[in-house]
Amino acid sequence: MENMTLNLRIWRQASDSDSGELVDYTVRNVSPDMSFLEVLDVVNDDIVKSGNEPVAYDYDCREGICGSCSLVINGVAHGPREATTACQLFMRHFSDGDTITVEPWRAKAFPVVKDLVVDRSAFDRIQAAGGYVSFDTGGACDANEILVPKEAADAAMDAAACIGCGACVAACKNASAELFVGAKVTQFALLPQGQGERDRRVLAMVEQMQEEGFGPCSNEGECQAVCPKEISVAHIQTLHREYTRASMRRIFGAG
Amino acid sequence: MSAVATFLTSTIGRKVLMALTGILLILFLVTHLAANLLILVDAEAYNAYSHALISNPLIYIAEAGLIALFVAHFASGILIYAQGRAARPSSYKDDRWAGGTSKKSFSSSTMILSGAFFLLFVPLHVWGFKFGTYYDAGNGIRDLHRLVVEEFQNPLLVAFYVVGMAILGLHMWHAFGSAFESLGVTQRDTLRRTGNVIAVVLAGGFMIIPLAIFFLGGGQ
Repeated sequence: MENMTLNLRIWRQASDSDSGELVDYTVRNVSPDMSFLEVLDVVNDDIVKSGNEPVAYDYDCREGICGSCSLVINGVAHGPREATTACQLFMRHFSDGDTITVEPWRAKAFPVVKDLVVDRSAFDRIQAAGGYVSFDTGGACDANEILVPKEAADAAMDAAACIGCGACVAACKNASAELFVGAKVTQFALLPQGQGERDRRVLAMVEQMQEEGFGPCSNEGECQAVCPKEISVAHIQTLHREYTRASMRRIFGAG
Repeated sequence: MSAVATFLTSTIGRKVLMALTGILLILFLVTHLAANLLILVDAEAYNAYSHALISNPLIYIAEAGLIALFVAHFASGILIYAQGRAARPSSYKDDRWAGGTSKKSFSSSTMILSGAFFLLFVPLHVWGFKFGTYYDAGNGIRDLHRLVVEEFQNPLLVAFYVVGMAILGLHMWHAFGSAFESLGVTQRDTLRRTGNVIAVVLAGGFMIIPLAIFFLGGGQ
């Protein structure tokens, strides 16, 4: 495959209060083996050489596991490949002469910090509201001291695969965070260690989710389709059951 | 805020309320369709059925319940829509559907509009038939069948009902599966297929009545 010339239309926004706009950049000599973030690095090299402000974007591991990269590429969170973060999206999936639009996650709860960088601390505050087990567990016990059915362990592991990147929110027309919250609630609801704080956890996390300004779930499933870790919308259904159960227990005085 | 109010005003509680009222409204539509099909089968049986309904004093409780279902369904729908818009104030310059496993569709994208149509349709429908011309079939029984057949001689009314039922089908295409998912049922693909069948059967079933009367003359 030959090297490519691409036309990038990148969202530039000085701060959350700035209105922002798409700015065109032509980038030449793009190797098909480069990742999408490496292309942005080349764009930024050119911008810096011409004495201008480089494009701000988030990254950390570049291995698809940290959840830092947060680019909407051609209208789809993390770009056109399924189960792939933007950093693991390679340019061989594009063609010479393509025009590629790059935008930040768009949600009221994720204000733009600058250009393609958004503030995702709303997720941290939801986690802080209950996404943990708070008992003092003492010293390490034998691995099989607490029995966990294999199915439950597998399902909890699937939920725990969420890297908190926020693509689910970015893809949702309502900027709903229910896939993220669903995964975080489910991973504990399925395990014996999570039972003690089960009701309290889901009630507090959903309350925080609402306070942050995330929207309701319309069950379209765009979130699952863009999720780099293929978190299933079944976690949203679990969240609805868990929240309704905890609410009913609170209403009827059992919680 | 009380625990009940907290639940009912939560994003999830509102969806649960919308799902429960929606499912009950679907059940109403199923009985409504089954009864309406009598129009094409036997005029006397249809008139007898409608007489049995309105002569039972419990009808007022049933009607009040039905109105409550509609109001709760509309209200939760509007609140959910507004909350969604507020959560996503700016839109993507390049906005595309993800495809793959997503169930996003024209139906799911137009729920607020297809729903709002029934704010117009339901009052017109009730005004046209329930409060329409009273024909006597004898023995104090209303000849509702005659009114229905007369109304559906008008091509504009036939078109209004056919389009209206197409919009009902469009709403139902997403509604059925989504409602059960909101209630926490995980069998997504089965729910969606069932919902699509229900959408076609309900919309098609209701459409047959004005079309059959207009083109075939409407039974007896």
